[in-house]
Amino acid sequence: MIARLLEGVPRRGLAALGALLLLLLVFPAFASGYLLSVGFLILHFAFVGQAWNIMMGFAGQLSLGHSLYVGLGAYAAAALYVHFGISPWIGLGASVGVAMIAGAVLGFLAFRFGVAGVYFAILTIAFAEFARIGFDHFSWVQGSSGFFLPVANYTTNDLWNLRGSPKMFYYLMLAMSVAAFVACHALLRSRMGYYWQAIRESPEAAQALGVNVFRYKMAAVVISAAMTSLAGVVFAFYYNNLFPEQIFHISRSIELILGPIIGGIGTLVGPLVGALLLTGLAEGMREAMLQLGVEVPGVKQVFYGICLLLVVMFLPHGVWPPLARHLGLERGAGRREER
Amino acid sequence: MDRRQFTKVAAAAGTVTALSPLNIARAQGARLKVGVLLPRSGVQAGIGQDCHRVIDVTAGILRDIGLPALDIMNADTESNVDVARSRAERLISEGAQLLVGAFDSGQSTAIAQVAEQRGIPFVINIAAAPPITEQGYKFVFRNFPTAPMILGDAFANQLEVFQATGVSPKSAVFMHVNDTFGQAMQKGFTGVMSNFTMPYKVLQTISYDPAARDLSVEVAKARASGAEALIMVSRLNDAILITRELIKQRWTPAAILSMGPGWYEDQYRKTLAKLGDGPMSFVPWYDPNKKLSKQLEAAHTKAFPDIDLNTNHIYTFEALLVAADAFKRAGSANPKALADAIRTTNIRDNVSTGPGIQFDAKGQNDKLRNSVVQNRGGKLLTVAPKGAANAKPELPMTAYDKR
Repeated sequence: MIARLLEGVPRRGLAALGALLLLLLVFPAFASGYLLSVGFLILHFAFVGQAWNIMMGFAGQLSLGHSLYVGLGAYAAAALYVHFGISPWIGLGASVGVAMIAGAVLGFLAFRFGVAGVYFAILTIAFAEFARIGFDHFSWVQGSSGFFLPVANYTTNDLWNLRGSPKMFYYLMLAMSVAAFVACHALLRSRMGYYWQAIRESPEAAQALGVNVFRYKMAAVVISAAMTSLAGVVFAFYYNNLFPEQIFHISRSIELILGPIIGGIGTLVGPLVGALLLTGLAEGMREAMLQLGVEVPGVKQVFYGICLLLVVMFLPHGVWPPLARHLGLERGAGRREER
Repeated sequence: MDRRQFTKVAAAAGTVTALSPLNIARAQGARLKVGVLLPRSGVQAGIGQDCHRVIDVTAGILRDIGLPALDIMNADTESNVDVARSRAERLISEGAQLLVGAFDSGQSTAIAQVAEQRGIPFVINIAAAPPITEQGYKFVFRNFPTAPMILGDAFANQLEVFQATGVSPKSAVFMHVNDTFGQAMQKGFTGVMSNFTMPYKVLQTISYDPAARDLSVEVAKARASGAEALIMVSRLNDAILITRELIKQRWTPAAILSMGPGWYEDQYRKTLAKLGDGPMSFVPWYDPNKKLSKQLEAAHTKAFPDIDLNTNHIYTFEALLVAADAFKRAGSANPKALADAIRTTNIRDNVSTGPGIQFDAKGQNDKLRNSVVQNRGGKLLTVAPKGAANAKPELPMTAYDKR
């Protein structure tokens, strides 16, 4: 199994991934609380970016409403924990289930009735908005007043109930990101992965070749929704408060897709590179400006805009594919190589 | 040791010696490093920037009343809970000894966790969600009323206004914006109202979308109900839209009673001029008769002549006041000593309405009261509670076509 997974992956690439993993593992030993929280955010965006990538990058279905699954996952696990004391590890079964059902309903409506392209994207936004308005009135989770998880100053880490220090959450997110990376790599190499790529390039041609386009598009939506909901569970227990206005908002959906777009849609490393670039560089730039005595609120959003503009203009496939070519890590890196 | 080495050592020793007195002086007069977290970009940018305005004014007032100066470290939460948390971490890493912020309940909750984990006092300027101070935190303090406190005071103040004016509407329509704040107020409205003997009966509750560009149907429904008073929970844009609809549909309720922002804001009064006169807002406000209020108002008007003092300024100022007062009494920037000092805060000469600033065991200032401000002649007059007013309330409202 492992040998199959590693098949065709250049040694240099493996070594680079190993070094990166090692770096991420030792990072908390040297990082301050602030850097640790930035590290957590990078991994969080890398994970949700990877989940979104399954739908858009692998199967070619543009979702602009992925905050729906983050929110559903977060609320399901948090509500079970607060109301019944159920551990988030059990609750995540419900989170994944709810998100999968939501994804399946959305997918069924879209793919059965031929909703595609920008119309499909609008449908995903509509679902997220329905959820936001619905949760605004859902009194079981305190509606728009906000749902608060009980918190305390934990001296020890309680992994079973996800109550603990930022370091614990960092390692949890790291484990999830590594698992997502491996899972996506395996999916991309599977029969389903090849079907997805065929559908992405030409659904008509794929259908003509006997690929069940409806089934595999549905699979992409459901798997992506399930993965995204896991990030929602961690989000809920890390921040300990949920507001429909924030978690289902379209700005969150946009935020989580920026990483893979800038890193490279359809690539495995792209979401990580994108998250690292956006969060890491934005924080670094702000820090540099502060050192120069310049304090400009909103500079990060301007930076995001400029990054997006530059990538669209000069690197339409994202940062990672040309970078991979330059570093000699082409196989397994670029979308072209995955075809 | 050769001549060059000796020269280097001598130079280094000389520099250290020369700077030592400065170090001592700095330690003696060291300022408290206060991290101020506000949403200065993103969807709440306008409010965050408004809160931020008062910070520059604060330094002079603290000096005048004999409180130590503060070293302000600013951070923008970008109206985002994730960013709020990481910014709090960053400020603490950079040496912030106390945190102030963050206008929004979600962001304040995220910061509160960091403050509690790192043992750094956090003074909340504005955030109304009750759970924040019900978590058993030891380093979190809030000098702002919770949503139930705001509602309870609103009804008590309404009764006072009705009694003072001799005008008691027998019926009302409750209109509210359908966002986080509007929903929270709507939920509490019926429950809290049942604790009071109000003269009016609520004939209808009408909600509307915060992004609505046309509220003619909603206003027509309210008018058709035949209600005498209009009770509002809104924001700025919809307050202007509703007033324009009232004028167009030729309906002047006997009273417009707002329990949120919008109706008292500068932009509302500037946009509508004399047509903006009349509405009453039941809000966390300041007592214009207090000495410190006059000082703050004068300093604020001097710095920002076109902007009236409002809730955002008042509670951000008071959060910094709490910090400076605690620092002076603690005599140290040690976070634990500061938290202990904040816990025993007893500021009588403050700005906000009520007896002063004190915190209960949960870290909540439960002594805060709301005020009633009425728009009259393009100005804001505080008309209730009686002890904290600078004018008498006037009801019924003058008809829009008679102005």
